[in-house]
Amino acid sequence: MTAATPRMLAWMNYGYLLLMMLVIAAILTTAMVLQYGWGELPCPLCLLQRVALFGVCFGIIQTFRLGDSGRNSGLSLLFAIFLLVVSMRQSLLDIYPRPGHAYIGSAVFGIHMPVWCVLIALALLIAYSLKLALLDGRDARAIPLAEFPALSHAAKAAGACVIVLCAINLVSVVVQCGFDACHTSGYRLLQAVQ
Amino acid sequence: MMVAIFAALLLALAAAWLGRQTIAIACLIVCLALSIGLFLFEIYSPDYGFRMPWIQTQLDGVAPASRAPRA
Repeated sequence: MTAATPRMLAWMNYGYLLLMMLVIAAILTTAMVLQYGWGELPCPLCLLQRVALFGVCFGIIQTFRLGDSGRNSGLSLLFAIFLLVVSMRQSLLDIYPRPGHAYIGSAVFGIHMPVWCVLIALALLIAYSLKLALLDGRDARAIPLAEFPALSHAAKAAGACVIVLCAINLVSVVVQCGFDACHTSGYRLLQAVQ
Repeated sequence: MMVAIFAALLLALAAAWLGRQTIAIACLIVCLALSIGLFLFEIYSPDYGFRMPWIQTQLDGVAPASRAPRA
């Protein structure tokens, strides 16, 4: 082993996490585009799936800020499992066609959103498993993100992007649900204005 | 409830980004607890509870002996 190996491992670890966060940000952006571009209102369980995706990002942002640790990975994994549970339950809820229960929104490549979320949750769990199996090392963990200026700037920008996305989602939830229970019948605040 | 969840989540993310670890973790725990509560509330049915009776899990019209697992 050369002296450069832990540094390279740390660089790969941070780069891998940054890539994961960018993919999650892209998924959340797609959800917003489908909501406002295609007029597809999210159901309460769909919104909880977004919360779970933001939760995974939380662990990654913590890692960027404080360094890699089991706690941060654990938090991300916790939200990935929450995403799997919620999306699995929603898929089972709508799996059998009956009045009042159909898959929310249109299908993308023939697969509806809750089923996509099951696949996304599994992909996140596999991605985290690979990270822990291949990119984890005690020496690499000791190297902070600040050691890699370009990666650090990109991580800060990606983190800010996720926070802005979350703020947009918060405003969107206020417009859709007000301060009451959420429904997929329309935007509650806009209906109140009209 | 959903607004409270997203507000706690936004606070947690912003605090994490700014390096305020204690506030971030506290807000995230609040967010997760509220999310689990809302999830259980959403999937609970007064008629079925948490069960999913629309998913058939029993064989109809099959003699009990033939249902026994093959060891």
